[in-house]
Amino acid sequence: MRQVTRRELLGWGLTGGAAALLAGCATPGTTSVNTQPVVPAAAGEKVTLTYWAWLKDLQKVADVWNAKNPNVQVQVSWIPGGNDGGYQKMYSALAAGGGPDLAQVEMRTIPEFMLVNGLVDLERYGVSEHADKFDQTLWSQVSFAGGVYGIPQDSGPVGMYYRPDLYEQVGVEVPTTWAQWAEVAPAFREAGVYIDSFPLDDTSAFTAHAMQAGAVWLRSAEDGWVIDMAGETTLEVARFFDQVIDDDLVTTAANPYTPGWYAAAAHDQIASLVSASWGDALLQSVSGAEGKWKVAPAPRWEHGYGSSFIGGSTSAVLANSKHPREAMEFAVWMNTDPEGIDAMIEHSGIGWSPARDYIGAAREKPSEFFSGQSYNTEVFQPATQQQNPDWQWWPITQQTFNILGDGFRRKATGGTLVDAVVAAEERTIEVFRQKGLTIRKAER
Amino acid sequence: MTAATVSSAPQRTDVPDAPATRGSGAGRRPGTTILVTGILVVVAIYFLVPVYWVVVAASKTTDDLFGTNGFWFGNTFALFDNLAAVLTYGGGVFIRWFANSVLYAGVGGLLATYLAAAGGYALAKYQFRGRNLVFGLVLGGVLVPGTATALPLFLLFSQLGLANTYWSVLIPSLVSPFGFFLCRIYADATVDSSIVEAARIDGAGELRIFHTLGLRIMTPALVTVFLFQIVGIWNNYFLPLVMLSDQELYPITLGLNNWNSQTDRLPEFYELTTGGVLLSVIPLAVAMIVLQRFWRGGLTEGAVKA
Amino acid sequence: MTTTTTRTGATTGAATRPSSRPAKRRRTAVDRAPWILVGPFLALFLLTFVLPIIVAIGQSFTTVTRAGLFGEQGVTTGFAWFENYRIALEDGNFIASIGRMLLFGVVQVPVMIIAATVLALLLESASARWPGFFRATFFMPYGIPGVIATILWSFLYVPGLSPIIDLTETLFGFTPDFLGAGTVLWSIANIVTWTYAGYNMLIIVAQLKAIPPEVYEAARVDGAGPWRTAWSIQLPLIRPALVLTTVFSIIGTLQLFAEPQLLQTVSPAIDSQFTPNLSAYTTAFAYNDYNVAAAQSVLIALVAFALSFVFLRLTNRSSR
Repeated sequence: MRQVTRRELLGWGLTGGAAALLAGCATPGTTSVNTQPVVPAAAGEKVTLTYWAWLKDLQKVADVWNAKNPNVQVQVSWIPGGNDGGYQKMYSALAAGGGPDLAQVEMRTIPEFMLVNGLVDLERYGVSEHADKFDQTLWSQVSFAGGVYGIPQDSGPVGMYYRPDLYEQVGVEVPTTWAQWAEVAPAFREAGVYIDSFPLDDTSAFTAHAMQAGAVWLRSAEDGWVIDMAGETTLEVARFFDQVIDDDLVTTAANPYTPGWYAAAAHDQIASLVSASWGDALLQSVSGAEGKWKVAPAPRWEHGYGSSFIGGSTSAVLANSKHPREAMEFAVWMNTDPEGIDAMIEHSGIGWSPARDYIGAAREKPSEFFSGQSYNTEVFQPATQQQNPDWQWWPITQQTFNILGDGFRRKATGGTLVDAVVAAEERTIEVFRQKGLTIRKAER
Repeated sequence: MTAATVSSAPQRTDVPDAPATRGSGAGRRPGTTILVTGILVVVAIYFLVPVYWVVVAASKTTDDLFGTNGFWFGNTFALFDNLAAVLTYGGGVFIRWFANSVLYAGVGGLLATYLAAAGGYALAKYQFRGRNLVFGLVLGGVLVPGTATALPLFLLFSQLGLANTYWSVLIPSLVSPFGFFLCRIYADATVDSSIVEAARIDGAGELRIFHTLGLRIMTPALVTVFLFQIVGIWNNYFLPLVMLSDQELYPITLGLNNWNSQTDRLPEFYELTTGGVLLSVIPLAVAMIVLQRFWRGGLTEGAVKA
Repeated sequence: MTTTTTRTGATTGAATRPSSRPAKRRRTAVDRAPWILVGPFLALFLLTFVLPIIVAIGQSFTTVTRAGLFGEQGVTTGFAWFENYRIALEDGNFIASIGRMLLFGVVQVPVMIIAATVLALLLESASARWPGFFRATFFMPYGIPGVIATILWSFLYVPGLSPIIDLTETLFGFTPDFLGAGTVLWSIANIVTWTYAGYNMLIIVAQLKAIPPEVYEAARVDGAGPWRTAWSIQLPLIRPALVLTTVFSIIGTLQLFAEPQLLQTVSPAIDSQFTPNLSAYTTAFAYNDYNVAAAQSVLIALVAFALSFVFLRLTNRSSR
């Protein structure tokens, strides 16, 4: 029989009202800046741009620009790697209505940002006049639905790092095709060495192999998305690696560039590594590796391309930026001007340069670490001309990779990679539909 | 709550360690002593191993870290170099992170204790409408994991423009349902209604009574709540992770995680991470060792009445 | 406020109300005082606990549909009955994560509480030397944030860095895999136990110290040895402390986030939905699916609440 006091009533009313208001509020990321008018260029006043990236020492690169452009100053903030929390930071900043002007967004994550309207369409700011400065494959990866959503910053053409001494010791030739690679692998096992490692939870390597074989998992068509993940090309690659793992020809216990892998490599237990160009800097962390490694082109499949790519970032302009035009100009400079590229290589250790004609002064010379081999001009530069040009990323790339990785992990308990790929395709279709997007399977 | 208690007088806050007061005083056989002490030593080693390891690891260079045995020192003694690097990297950002943690924990803990004390005292010493409702509500709050509220709280704060500010971490830290619960129980047990009444008759206002009498009598419980809240805020990871994107605002937990996440890309961060961990563990360990005596007092009463 | 006072004054025959009849002004102040005292706490509590739950529930009943390849042709927000809950519950990974946490809880919590109790009893027994030193050592990890403890232990788990693995290799010739699919959950359990056992032990010690020496005297007179004393006398008397520590441990288990998230980088066996919290976080901030994440948060809160409630009910009932 307790009567409610006026104050309590007021309290509940306010709470209820606030709650109703907030609960009805829009889910973050549902309005697009690209439907708003274009932001005019800054009229001569000093502009400070913020840039979030996980590249090392990027501020030193920005300072080269800052010295020459007193009216547009760039301030870099380091954030954790995209999938280690960096993208979460960006999404939550965007959801809170803020965020930096520029951010490091990997190529494969651009569609995900587009799904939450997180990026500015640079086409509206005239970026196409710079299109021919960039590598064609990379440019097509940032172009969607008639717009351009990021400035390519680096990429990772794939090659094979190998130990000539171990190959000699075992007495086999360096393989040029994947079939040969599988043939010579058992010889290494007899010597207690693994020819390579296969990461079960990092599916970007497998994706690169499928891409190299000619597969295109998702593409955009007029009527929506078309998926072809479990097509014959990809399943062949999955079967190949299923066999290789079953025959214990590769190790699944030490993912490349993890402490366990470094230790194994230092103990001469890893004979080669099919990986991207940015692995060269990481390889130098192997204790005592100087002069022991060289670089060769990646093994090929029977059909498909000579090389592939793993990783690759862009400088993207985020939706809440107040100076998108100035941000774009800085990004174009940094990623095409020789000064910018050299600075990025020197200070930040970026992957392969995105500029069509310039790979960076430091990369044109022979390398001491790789026993005097000019591996960049010999291996990686040609590799960039042999990549799959049709490959596209999709709005739930990370989620698909996670799903695939979950499936791959079951390999350790009796599953197969083939099953994982088929299941991932089904699940990906489900997730697309849950997000309200249209998708269909390719005819095959 | 069950009342199965042996309620000794609440004044028992500092019982001496002398074993003669309990157990079988005459039966202290040397065999049992060795056995018991042996077990305790083994357990102590278990607790100390990681701390010992980080001391050793922080004194090594990255090469040595991978190359030499983890339990003994490396070939070069790089402890001071590593520590200097930790303190100066990024313009002294480590110190900033540490200061942020102190701010969040110190200010948050202090205010949270005060608010919990006020609330607990009010519930214990006054009969008013809604008293049980409030208690039930707050008790429910104890049972709900903080991680379930962090995400929606983030969305709320974003709308209010508070996300990614000091307030976004401070405001949630000011609420300690457990502290409230503890203070209510303690106030119930120790603050005598007759003293309060006497003070009223003397003409003291209610708030005055609370501040001068109530707080003083409740001090042991307040210390417990304060310490509990400080440790809770200091160790909190999920809340700042969700709320903060600006590195300058990070507490030490987020900051060190930042560095740790760079290690696979940039192996020199192994040194920074181990050095940073050492620098943060040592003061915390010392603080815990010094403060552990205070946990006895208030918690006895709280646990006893639970 | 006068309205409140008259109503209270008239209807409450409160037995605890002091017998003297203070002036009307005093009565108002006394009635207002509890609300002034509890007000700030309550307001903040509503803001930081109640409101977010309401928001989460609201979000969990909303859904978003997109037209075009990326939603560039229009995004609409709509009411979604239990769609988000269905998606959350149909997600095998999320259900697996809850199951995993229940398994973890069923094993880790009793092990830790039993260890804490045994240590407490040992420390408080007559045979313990240097109890202060041991108490301090066992308690020390509590002050170390879970994140930092995990970083520490991750170095001790990783082959190539870990001296423990080196030691077992040289001594016993086998390489333990702390980060494999079957073992990583228990490696996490180890970290949690290492961090909190000492703290739980201290709570039990505090309760042990509250036992009056007369009880021990009486036991000794009756001829009870140390084992008997521990089992029949000390254990029942520290029951409230055991209940408290267990409830907190249960709640803590469902909150597990930092440890698995950090170990993800070194253990391939930890997927992005290993624990319920990790699942909700990934769904919200990696997949940008705030609505399903809200549904997951609500489910987690419900499960935590239910478990603690049931446990408290059980212990309450059996104590009669």
